[in-house]
Amino acid sequence: MGALPFVANLAVVTSVAESSNSSRTSQPALEARGVTKRFPGVVANDAVDFDLARGEVHTLLGENGAGKSTLASVLCGLYRPEVGQVLRNGAEIRLNSPRDGLAHGIAMVHQHFRLVDRFTVAENVVLGHKSLSFVLATNDIEDRVAAITQEFGLPLDPRAVVGDLSAGERQRVEIVKALYQGAEVLLLDEPTALLAPPEVENLFVTVRAMTHTGKSVVFVSHKLGEVVDISDRITVMRGGKVTGSVRRGEADVRKLAELMVGREINIVPRRAKSPVSDVLLSVSQVHLERDGAEILSDINLDVRAGEIVGVAGVAGNGQRDLAEVIAGLQTPQQGNVTVCGTPTARAGALGARRAGLAYVPEDRLGTGLAPSMSIVDNMVLTRERGFLVDRKSALTESEQFIRQLEIKTPGPLTPTRKLSGGNAQKVLLARELFAVSGARVLVVCSPTRGLDVGAVEAVHALLDEARDAGKAILMVSEDLDEVMTLADRVMVLYRGKITLEQPGTDADLERVGRAMAGIAS
Amino acid sequence: MIVLGYRVRMEQRLSAPRSLLVMVPVFSVFFALVVGGIFLAATGHPPIGTYLKLMDNGYTSFYGITDTLGLATPLVCTGLAAAFAFRMNLYSIGQEGQLYLGMIGGSWAGIALADSLPTLVAVPVVLLFGAFAGAMWVAVPALLRARLGTSEIVSTLLLNYVALNLLNYFIFGSTGFFRDPTTSFPQGRPVAESARLSPISFFTDKVTNTYPTFFIAVILAVVLFWLMRVSNYGYETAVYADSPNTARYAGMNSAWLQSSVLLISGALAGVGGAMYVVGPAGKVDPGLLQVGLGYAGIVVAALARYNFIAVIVAAVLFAGLRTGGNALQISSDPVPIAIAVVLQGAVLLFALGGELFRRNKVTITRLQAAT
Amino acid sequence: MNSNIWLLTFADAISIATTLILASLGAILTERSGVINLGVEGMLLMGAVTGFLVADSSGNLWLALFVAVLVGVALASVHAALTVGLRANQIVSGLAMVIFATGLSQFIGKPIEGDPLPVLIRPIDFGALSDIPFFGPVVFGHDLFTYLTWVLVAAASFYMHRTRPGLLLRATGDAPATVDAQGGSVARIRWVHTVVGGALMTFAGAWYMFARSAAWNQSATTNGIGWIALALVVFASWRPLRAIGGAVLFGFSLQVPFTLQAEQIRVLPPTIVAMFPYLITLAVLVALSTPRARRLLGAPKMLGQPFVRDER
Repeated sequence: MGALPFVANLAVVTSVAESSNSSRTSQPALEARGVTKRFPGVVANDAVDFDLARGEVHTLLGENGAGKSTLASVLCGLYRPEVGQVLRNGAEIRLNSPRDGLAHGIAMVHQHFRLVDRFTVAENVVLGHKSLSFVLATNDIEDRVAAITQEFGLPLDPRAVVGDLSAGERQRVEIVKALYQGAEVLLLDEPTALLAPPEVENLFVTVRAMTHTGKSVVFVSHKLGEVVDISDRITVMRGGKVTGSVRRGEADVRKLAELMVGREINIVPRRAKSPVSDVLLSVSQVHLERDGAEILSDINLDVRAGEIVGVAGVAGNGQRDLAEVIAGLQTPQQGNVTVCGTPTARAGALGARRAGLAYVPEDRLGTGLAPSMSIVDNMVLTRERGFLVDRKSALTESEQFIRQLEIKTPGPLTPTRKLSGGNAQKVLLARELFAVSGARVLVVCSPTRGLDVGAVEAVHALLDEARDAGKAILMVSEDLDEVMTLADRVMVLYRGKITLEQPGTDADLERVGRAMAGIAS
Repeated sequence: MIVLGYRVRMEQRLSAPRSLLVMVPVFSVFFALVVGGIFLAATGHPPIGTYLKLMDNGYTSFYGITDTLGLATPLVCTGLAAAFAFRMNLYSIGQEGQLYLGMIGGSWAGIALADSLPTLVAVPVVLLFGAFAGAMWVAVPALLRARLGTSEIVSTLLLNYVALNLLNYFIFGSTGFFRDPTTSFPQGRPVAESARLSPISFFTDKVTNTYPTFFIAVILAVVLFWLMRVSNYGYETAVYADSPNTARYAGMNSAWLQSSVLLISGALAGVGGAMYVVGPAGKVDPGLLQVGLGYAGIVVAALARYNFIAVIVAAVLFAGLRTGGNALQISSDPVPIAIAVVLQGAVLLFALGGELFRRNKVTITRLQAAT
Repeated sequence: MNSNIWLLTFADAISIATTLILASLGAILTERSGVINLGVEGMLLMGAVTGFLVADSSGNLWLALFVAVLVGVALASVHAALTVGLRANQIVSGLAMVIFATGLSQFIGKPIEGDPLPVLIRPIDFGALSDIPFFGPVVFGHDLFTYLTWVLVAAASFYMHRTRPGLLLRATGDAPATVDAQGGSVARIRWVHTVVGGALMTFAGAWYMFARSAAWNQSATTNGIGWIALALVVFASWRPLRAIGGAVLFGFSLQVPFTLQAEQIRVLPPTIVAMFPYLITLAVLVALSTPRARRLLGAPKMLGQPFVRDER
């Protein structure tokens, strides 16, 4: 086997590198001490301690925004911390760029691949490699790539064009890239996010193969259910801080969920429930596929007039697709959506709107509003327009809303991109809740993402008001607090399936947390 | 970027000070004049004197202004065509070919249909057929883009050349429908009298080069401007140009919007060609090939920042530079016409650069020595 | 039937192709880095006229060619400054360049309009070799620069596909964010290739002036070859070696009308035949529009897009 001599060399090189620190092999392969990293307006990492032993798989677990990706970025050299140290094999190192990280054998595999579709696997692996010769020794490179893929169980054809590969195969290319560059420590950022279940299995096989040869792996993930088996240790983060750490065997799933979600199981005061009547929105047996992957599976839910149904879940589990299918922006392969009695699944966005549905997307300025256009112009975006656009009545309406909702703006003709997040959201809600006549169903996504406290209160008040006025509201949000506060009924979306449904008053927070993390209860 | 120890960073401004809105075009023109002046001086012509002559021949003298308006007529059309498409990020650069097709189509109508029609009907018919021919010429690139995602830049450009050769074929390569049967000299067959308009004399007894088509073009620009402001179609294209995601969210039909914009753009350029027939030419005239009005229309549109009213101003400005330059060429101290073209290009280049300064704030900071 | 004249036509086509190859090679390098420079036509003319002027005053062909190259560097630098440095719209900038350079060349060419060429590029005299039937005129009938061009194309192809900087170049056009993330300078790569591309374009114009034109006269000098070169880039799928075939084909189709006229053959009107290169390219464009073809043979993915790094 031609690969063997190379593998033997690799092992020699590895052991030489590691044994030069033989007195320190008891030291962690990688460590963060007291790392604090700030961005404008947020402390992403707050005095974080973290260590990775050699040959270990250590998972960083937490929800979005918990700070785990930031920590990984600090560890590989992408960010520089304001406070704290990074240590490699016990010695402090200063990383000014990912290149420095690579020089120390630390590499990060990002969630969104950085590959050139046109190139072959070998060309992608070797792009940017510092010791690449002027004239490419293509055959040698391909041989070395082949050797790595064989050693670590990452089946890949070095000559294959990356654009033709599946998501799982592309990820392998990224991993091979890191290994080719001599990485001993690999940080995998949300590696299973884009993979189908069988590919996840392959990944775990690869990870085990890597640790067997002495490499150390940090897994950054929010999917508790998946990582429990592969991890030697799990460290949970929330709000920039480490909330706890467990070893294999000690992993108490319940405790982990609690650490992730960050609160004690206690009674949350619920709002007075208003009388509920007819079903205005009905979704049944909806399946959505894209590029051969199943995005939504067998979605069934109802929303009645006068209630808010909250769909909780960690980002990336199909939230946007769910909202878009219901709003008519995407057509499901199977299933029905009925708005106020009219089937709308195949009627498009206009059909859904005509049936009485209003949609407030998560992306305010990029999708819900036209950023360079005025408030007035945006007011007519989702209503029926004739041959001529009636800006006069839109102007009156806009002025009215600006007064009523206290929207801070120089005037109704201001371009919406000049508004703050909260004010833009108010414009959106005003339009979808009140200006669109006849809208009785509202689908709203992450309504208070990125808003300050005052704006959050205002938005919540608006939603409550709409609910009390008899509208049926479906709220899809990644903010569990928000869901638990506002929803009359709570559902959890995980990997495109509704995995839990509970009445809001009796919501068992622990069960919700576990469902969000993908653990069956 | 880092230049010589200083970091130059560009950040988008949230709002541009109003003063810049005026300052940038003014400074662009000023700097262009300076550059042109340098070239003039370097080749032995007095800059100020030459510029004064240029102004006179382009703008201020009677024949100057009428020649300018005449040349501006098709330029307004191609400018509108380019502005209409570019505004939507559709880079159709086929105005040149669409112009020729408009000339051919308008000519056809003028020969085949106009004989029995009164002028009041014949002229609109000719213009309509010109518009239709222009739209047809962009239909293939539009279809290719909608169905296959083929870049409209290259496809419209290629068709410019096909159109050029088509025109040459009709006049020089065959003795068919478009050839003047009364002479063996290769030239176009004249259209019916009723399809022609006579030049405007502006209450004098002089024969000018300004035709009523100029005012038709201006009215067209104004109507288009107004229509796009108040109509739903204008609204939807504005939304799509601003944010395609928002257009999708609002349920707008993006494919239809893009295709229709391209077709209208082609029609506008085609009308320009037909206006040339109704006005000065009266037939298919290969002389139009030399002027480059299609490409100039793109420059006009860019300078007008795709605003239809501003297109009128920019077109007159550019046409004036050309006619003024023309006159300079045959004056007592001949200056090559090229100076006008140089000024045009320079104005645009400076405007491009200036526009960026308006939209972005440039900060220059000295780099700290690495610690 | 005079087969000789067809051979000569073919040989002529190869010769004309030199301009096309050089200009489109310049465009290929530029576009592979992600920058589209539509100003080719103007650059050709500027190369031609400055070459003429320098040769006129100095009598030195090599100096003339050198200055033409410098002019190309200067013009392309303006384009690069606007599009890479200031992130201006590349289409508009390139078109402005065409108009500007065309006008400028007309302006400075006025004094020498119609003057006979001061020097000429002559084919190398291979003696008896060029009398070999068939191969003779086709292979041995060309000048030094044509042969150098063939070498240059091979070198460019090797550079792009078999060297490290070539790999970076191709990556920059497709995925500048990736190159940037790995510490490469997208701006530098784009600048360098835009400027080199510009140098090739003006050189192409100068060569054409000395090798194929009778005198300087703006509109007759290049015949829209600059635009054909841009189309040729697409035809060649952005690969230097493929440009040769297309260039010869285009060169042939440019010559054929004259040959037909000389031989008094009228199969199709020459103007119709003249459309063929463009129609063929259009057809190829369409064929290249399938997703897989686009991925492998198509334009660099980020062609025409200014690169902005997400600052964090």
